[in-house]
Amino acid sequence: MRRDALVRASEWWFRLLVRLYSPDFRDDMGDGVVETYRDRAKDALNRGGVLRLTGVWMRALADSVRNGPIERIRPAAWWRRGGNWGRDAELATRRLLRAPGLVLAMVGTLAVGLGTFAVVYTFVQKILIEPMPYRSSDDLYFVWRDYRAFFDLDRGWLAGTDVAELQKAGGVIEEAAGLLRQLATFSAREGADATEISVIVTSPNLFELLGVQPAIGRGFTRDEAGPKRPAVIVLTHELWSRLGADRGIVGSDVRLNGEPYTVIGVMPPGFTFFRNASLGPPQRGEAFTTLNVNLAETSPDAGSYGGLIRARRGTAPGTVAAAVNAVARIVDARDFKSRGLKLYPLGLKRDLVSGVRPALVVLGVAGLVLVLALMVNLGSVLLARAAQREHEFAVSRALGADGYAVARATLFEGALLGLAGGLAGAVVAIWATRTLVALAPLTLPRREAIAVDWTIVAVVTSVGALLGLLAATAPAIWTARAKLSSLLASSAVRGGGGHARMRRSLVVAQVGLSLVLLSSAGVVARSFTRVLRADPGFNPEGLLTLRVPMPPQLFEKPEDAYATQARIEDALAAIPGVKQVGATSSLPLTALSNQTTIRIPGAPGNTGNKDRDAPLVDYIGLRAGYVEAAGMRVIVGRAFDKARPAGVREALIDPLLARQFFPGTSPLGAKIPFGNNNQTLTVVGVVEQARLYDVHKDGRPQLYMRVEDWSYRTLAFIVRADRLPSSLVPEVRAAIRNVDPRLALASVQPMDTIVQDALRQQRISAVLIAGFAFGALLLAAMGLFGVVSGSVTRRRHELAVRLALGANQSRILGLVFGEGVMLVALGVVIGVPGLYAAGGLIRGVLVGVSPLDPLTLVTVALGLLVVAMMACFFPARRAVRIDPARSLRQE
Amino acid sequence: MDRRRADASPQLALRTVEFHILLSLASGERHGYGIIKDIDTRGETAVPDVGTMYRALARMVEMGFITTASRRPAPDAGGERRNYYRITEAGLRVARTEARRLEALTRAARLGGLLTKASK
Repeated sequence: MRRDALVRASEWWFRLLVRLYSPDFRDDMGDGVVETYRDRAKDALNRGGVLRLTGVWMRALADSVRNGPIERIRPAAWWRRGGNWGRDAELATRRLLRAPGLVLAMVGTLAVGLGTFAVVYTFVQKILIEPMPYRSSDDLYFVWRDYRAFFDLDRGWLAGTDVAELQKAGGVIEEAAGLLRQLATFSAREGADATEISVIVTSPNLFELLGVQPAIGRGFTRDEAGPKRPAVIVLTHELWSRLGADRGIVGSDVRLNGEPYTVIGVMPPGFTFFRNASLGPPQRGEAFTTLNVNLAETSPDAGSYGGLIRARRGTAPGTVAAAVNAVARIVDARDFKSRGLKLYPLGLKRDLVSGVRPALVVLGVAGLVLVLALMVNLGSVLLARAAQREHEFAVSRALGADGYAVARATLFEGALLGLAGGLAGAVVAIWATRTLVALAPLTLPRREAIAVDWTIVAVVTSVGALLGLLAATAPAIWTARAKLSSLLASSAVRGGGGHARMRRSLVVAQVGLSLVLLSSAGVVARSFTRVLRADPGFNPEGLLTLRVPMPPQLFEKPEDAYATQARIEDALAAIPGVKQVGATSSLPLTALSNQTTIRIPGAPGNTGNKDRDAPLVDYIGLRAGYVEAAGMRVIVGRAFDKARPAGVREALIDPLLARQFFPGTSPLGAKIPFGNNNQTLTVVGVVEQARLYDVHKDGRPQLYMRVEDWSYRTLAFIVRADRLPSSLVPEVRAAIRNVDPRLALASVQPMDTIVQDALRQQRISAVLIAGFAFGALLLAAMGLFGVVSGSVTRRRHELAVRLALGANQSRILGLVFGEGVMLVALGVVIGVPGLYAAGGLIRGVLVGVSPLDPLTLVTVALGLLVVAMMACFFPARRAVRIDPARSLRQE
Repeated sequence: MDRRRADASPQLALRTVEFHILLSLASGERHGYGIIKDIDTRGETAVPDVGTMYRALARMVEMGFITTASRRPAPDAGGERRNYYRITEAGLRVARTEARRLEALTRAARLGGLLTKASK
């Protein structure tokens, strides 16, 4: 008896001593240690009694004091003390791999969602955020003339004299350059195939100003400009590559409009430069030559120069504006009798991207909303998984597992899913970005720079992991907090209740988010269909367009050019299937035209206000037959006849001018002073605008005259045939070559392509945002299905009782659908503030549609409801098919 | 530290206690006190403390030199249930390597005159 008591006391002592070891060691080895001590204690008792036993006790004490703490500071034990993350990771992975379907679905959803996000992020990053590839590019500004004191133009080209004044200004304006753009006929050698290229004609300091030097050869020297400048040219890397990438080209001559220019340099790869334009898209430079005038000696009235300045490093934009303003006062006083001409600087980048900024901001925000919706979706899936395992959680916690260990496992699962989704999303984004860049408007700024790079991959992957972690937070907190008893109790009756409310709130959030995206997409799509249905004032169908540059070097006298133009028309008309041919100086929707102010003395619409009576107009040269070939509508009078009347310069005006100057009367026969020496134009007709800028709205007033009355050389020809326009191209090329082999052909394309190009940005925005919205809707429908179907499962007992007590099927259906409809209704209600916020954001990209267009909103709400019904359909069917007898027996 | 050693190379000398444990298990599965008694009968003076031995056991389980065998009644403990340990292939290899190393050392000691002929 005494022996047993001693053994028990020993055991108690040994158990106490084992506490000196770390918990992990105790878990694994504690029992063994105690048993071994006990064996030894028994031995000691047998051999030597209590004295010997006391020795064993003491030795055990010394042993534990020595080994316990050492065991605790073992690195491996340290690592484990905070919880076994490595084992958690392994467990989470294994658990996920056991449900490959779910993982595939989740990672797939995340890949698409995060891929979309990555694409939008790439565009925003490359276009709006990343600096331009010039030295401290934030200090570069384009300067514009603000003519609003005279007429409605707030972004006019500078005159050469303005640029000269900016160059003299000093102070914070370190450098200034004047830039012209010339479309020139280019050939590598005399007699080689001619192409048209876009040449920037610049002050010689352009490359110093940008801080980029040629990779091969040299840039311009300061004296290589002016009337006697040497004819030298610098090529972009791209043009040089097109010519065969021969380093020996430096020093050799190329032909520009038939004249020899010496190549002195080739810019580095990746260098691009655009002259931001007064109107229309920025103009790319493929080659650079210098101005053959002295800027200070040019006419102050002729605004045609782009003005680029570099401010002293780090100067605040306000200071730069003040410096430019000081120059403006000099110019205004000297050239405009202080009537109020203003000059103002616009940051190079800001200016370049201003056109796409609103659309990009909208897309960026839509992308974020989609990511949010994804997160909520992932959260509800993880919550559902956690709920499925609540029995497992309950048991493991009952067995002593830490609540946090369970939460940790859920967090790990989320992060792992997010990480995988992020990686897959990055891969998706690489391809999607390439596709989208190919589809993007050709004038999209920084188009060449847009591609997914490693930073973007890293950002997207971390966003994915973060999103997974955040999504897992809610279920993790729920599992950690849930009371043990309630877990065990609810899991006993299958499908717990605590998580259900959380899942419902998540679904409501999803519905709210998708409502915002859907309604935004709805109004953007409506706006786009309006643009699509808009009548641009001409008929683009079946038209082929081509430009034929006719530089003065090739056709010295204008008459030579006219004769050639006539021969080209005849040659084109002779192609089989061609019905009509026309020629113009400015094709519609290209924003390429000249502007001037006109007056019509004696017109009844004159108000006496000098500035109001001299509107700025686009003037465009036409050859007879163009109006008919383009399908423009003649409203009053006639278009130009084939035979040109002697001594009269004919003109056509558009309805804007007719309304302003001839309200209620006929403009026919009115005289418009135009050109030098008191020359006038006589109005012979009013034609609908062939819109020059936007498909859906009129630009500034248009004035048409005959090509021959204003010495137009380079014209764009249009060919209307009863064949597919693109099938005409080879014959058109042959015809032009037959007329004159020196002629280059530029921009041969169907008119439809020009129209589509003009619509590209809106189309892409509409498609993307519709895609986002569709994704969000799908996610919301999935969430709704999950919740409703889960609730049917949980309430099976209740539903069975109801059925058994005689509830008919429609009542059961009502219960199930009622839950779905209520969730959607709640989602719609919480989505309304989001609608207003989104409305403010997308207003800028809409055409003729209010962001809160009632018809769209109602359609979207109804659509959501229909989708909700569909999501409820399958669970509802399951509910009415419950067999009460069987179901109740099972319980 | 222990991990690093395990990863490095089994040719590094084993601790005495580890070699003793492997030696005991090489002849069959044993429980904790069984190993201690076995070491005791080997006549070596420094019989390890229980804590020291179990730490070594834990380490060697981690390194994969031994594994826990089934828990079963131990005839030498009055039929009480005990955790048994078993040597693994890797453990056997390590023990052999260690034994060969010791043998080589002994031979060297003899050639160096540290051991007398008589002790042979």
